[in-house]
Amino acid sequence: MDAVVTLRNVTKSFASVRAVDDVSFAVRKGTITGLLGRNGAGKTTTLRMINRVFLPDSGTIELFGSVNDASARDRIGYLPEERGLYRKMKILEQLLFFAEIKARRPADARAEAESWLKRLELWDKRDAKLEELSKGNQQKVQLIGAMLHGPELLILDEPMSGLDPVNVVLIRRILREQRDAGRTILLSTHMMGEAEKMADDIVLIHEGKVVLYGELAGVRASFGRNTVHLAFDGDGAFLEKLPGITHASITNNAAELRLDAGADPQGILEAATPRIRIRRFEVAAPSLEEIFLDRVGGDTLAARLAPDEGEEEVPL
Amino acid sequence: MRKVFAVIKREYLQVVRKKSFWILSILMPVFLLGLMLGPALLMRRGLSGKRVVVLDGTGRLRAAFETASGTGLTPKMGDSQAVFGSRSRRNALSIDFEYVPVDGDLTEARAPHFERLSKRRAPKGERLDGVVLIPRDAFEGAESKVTLYTRSAADFVTQERIARIVNQAVTKERLVARGIAAADTEALLARVPVDSVQVTRGGRERKGGELNFLAAFVFGALLLIPMFAYGQEIMRGIVQEKTDRVVEILISSMSPMELLSGKILGLAAAGLTQVAIWLVMGGAAATFAGTAAAAAGASQLGSLDARIVPYFLIFYVLGYLTYASVYAIGGSVTNSEKEAQQFVAPIMFFLLIPWFLATVILQSPESPMAVTLSLIPIFTPVTMFMRVIVSEPPLWEVALSIVLSIATIYGMFWMTAKIFRTGILSYGKRPTIPELWRWLRVA
Repeated sequence: MDAVVTLRNVTKSFASVRAVDDVSFAVRKGTITGLLGRNGAGKTTTLRMINRVFLPDSGTIELFGSVNDASARDRIGYLPEERGLYRKMKILEQLLFFAEIKARRPADARAEAESWLKRLELWDKRDAKLEELSKGNQQKVQLIGAMLHGPELLILDEPMSGLDPVNVVLIRRILREQRDAGRTILLSTHMMGEAEKMADDIVLIHEGKVVLYGELAGVRASFGRNTVHLAFDGDGAFLEKLPGITHASITNNAAELRLDAGADPQGILEAATPRIRIRRFEVAAPSLEEIFLDRVGGDTLAARLAPDEGEEEVPL
Repeated sequence: MRKVFAVIKREYLQVVRKKSFWILSILMPVFLLGLMLGPALLMRRGLSGKRVVVLDGTGRLRAAFETASGTGLTPKMGDSQAVFGSRSRRNALSIDFEYVPVDGDLTEARAPHFERLSKRRAPKGERLDGVVLIPRDAFEGAESKVTLYTRSAADFVTQERIARIVNQAVTKERLVARGIAAADTEALLARVPVDSVQVTRGGRERKGGELNFLAAFVFGALLLIPMFAYGQEIMRGIVQEKTDRVVEILISSMSPMELLSGKILGLAAAGLTQVAIWLVMGGAAATFAGTAAAAAGASQLGSLDARIVPYFLIFYVLGYLTYASVYAIGGSVTNSEKEAQQFVAPIMFFLLIPWFLATVILQSPESPMAVTLSLIPIFTPVTMFMRVIVSEPPLWEVALSIVLSIATIYGMFWMTAKIFRTGILSYGKRPTIPELWRWLRVA
C-alpha cells in the first residue's frame, strides 16, 4: 500500500539531547497509525518535523511521495500538543482563518465549519472567544481546525487529552470515519489502551528510538497467544506465584499473566478456581501495555515510579 | 498570496475592532493639540493684568512707565500669540505699573510694598506681582543695577519687559544729556521690526515658519506614536502566538516570510487607517481654523498641510517598517511580553535619538548634524521628515535618504525573517548575542 509519510533515518538533537535518534517508519495511506511512547520519548518532535516546524538534523521525510515539497503542507491537518489556537479570537472566525491559511477559501469552508460545530455541539458558541470555552471544547475546536480544509493527512498530537469519556468516544468515531473516507491519520498518544482501540499500525518509540513498529494485530501476534486475561472477585495476589508465569500484572479485580512457552493456561484456571471467583478467563495475545512494558523494560520503571499500582491505563 | 492576505486580514481586524484603537485615533490629536496649546493658553492668562510697583530713585522715569502701563508687549516672533492670530494681542501680557518716585532711602521705601508682594491674601487691587527698584544713580553709575523683585524667579517675560522699558528710558536720558533734542530721541530709538520669511527653492516667499516649528513637533509625534504602538502590537502578537502555540500551525501552513510580511502589512494597514482618521480630522480642523484665521486676517495655516501629507505617508511607512522589524525580532527571541520589552527598550531608545534632538534639528535643519542624521537610515524617518517641514532640503538628499532606508529595511527584513524562523520556536531561554549570530548564519 502507498505510504503517505515516510521517515528515513531521521535524527534531531537539541543542545546535547538527542530527541529523535535514527527514526524510520512509514504511514500507510488510509490507516490510523499510533505513535506511542512515554512523555519525552520524541513523539512531539517527530510530529513537528513531519510538519516542517523543525527540520531534521539528518535523514529525510517524504510526504505524499516527495521530499521538500512546500505544497504538501496544505494537504496536512495538524493538531499540536496542548493548545494551538488564538485565545481572544471568536471560534468560527478562527476556524475560517485556519482554513484560509491552508489555502481554502473561507466561503467554501463556512458550510463545513457549521456542520462540524453543530455535530460537536459548539454551534451556539461560534461567536464566543476561545478562552471562554472549557478545555475539552477547546480541544474539539482544535480538531475541527485541523480537518476543515479537507486534508488528506491528519497529524494529531495527543488528540484525546482533556476530553471527557463521552467526547473521547465521539472523537474516536469521527477519526474512524475520516479513515474510512480514505484519509490517513497519524496520532501520538501515551495511552496504550487508546492506541489499542484505534490504531491499525503502531510505532513505539522510546528515548528517541523506534523500538517496535508494525501492524497492531501483527505486533500482538508476534508476542504469541500465551497470555491469560482474568477478571475475578477476591484476593488475587497469589496468582503471581503460580508456576509457569513469567510476568504478572495484577490489579484489584483483574490480572494479566504471561506464561512460559510450555505452560498450560488450563492449569492456571484450575489453580485459581478454589481461591477466587472467576468472572472472565481468556487466553489471548498480550495487551499493548504489556508489550510496551516488555519492550522498554518498563517493569522496573513502573515499579519505581508507581509501586503496587498497575492501573487500567498506565500513563507511561 | 492568499495566505499572506489571510494573515493581513486577521491582524488588521484584530486591531481595528478594539475600542482602544478608536479611542487613540480620536483622542491623540486632541491630546497633542492640548499639549502644544495648553501652556500657551495658561501663560497668556498668567501674564495678563500683572501689577508692578516701580520705586524710582531717579524720579525721572514716570513718563516711560505710565505710557507702558496697561498695554501688552509688542508682538514678537515665536511668542505664544503667534498661535492665536492678532486679535487678542493688545490685552494679553499687559502689566499695570504703579509709579512711585522716591527721594530718600530706597530700602526704607520698599518695605510696605514688599509686604504687598509677599502677602498671599492681600485684597485684589492691593496685591503686587512685582517691585522694581531703580537706584538714584541709574543714569550715571556704570555699576548700577535695576532690581526686580517677584514671587517667581522664572517670570522672565516680565523681567525682559521691564528691562526694555528701563533701558529705553535710560538711553533716552543719556542721549538728551549728550545734547540731542528730546524730540529726536523717539525717532532714534524707534525699533525696527524683523519679519521672518522663508524663501523656497523656486524662489517664492513664504511666511509662517514659526508655525512650522510647532507643526513639526505635532506631526513628528503623530509619526512616532503609531510606529511605536503598532510595532509593539507585532511584538505582543508574536509572543502571544508563541505562548498559545498557534505558531506551530502557522509555521506548518506558510513560510516564515509570508507570516512575517502578513503581520507587518496587516498592522501597517491598521496604522494607516489611524493616520487617515487623523488626516481627515486635521483637514476638518484646518478648514475650520482656516476660516477662523481668514476672518482674523491671517492665513498661515494654509501653507503647511497639503505639502506635508505625501512626506508624512512616505516617512510613516519607512519608519514603521524599521520599527516593526526590531519589534518582530524582540518578539521572536523572547518568551513573555515583559522580557520582550526589556529586550527592545534600549534599541528603541537609540532609535529615538532624533526625537531628543528635535529642537536642534528644527532650528538648524541644514546643519551637518541634521543632514547626517537624516541620511542614517534608522534615523531617516523622523529627521528627514522634520527637515522637510521646516526647510527645503535638496531633493537628492531626500531621495538618497529614502533609498538608503529601503535598502536597510530590506536587510533588516532578511535578518528578522531568519531570527523569526529560529526564534519563534525556541520556547527555552532567551538567546545570547553569539547564539543570535549563529541563527543568522545557519537559519
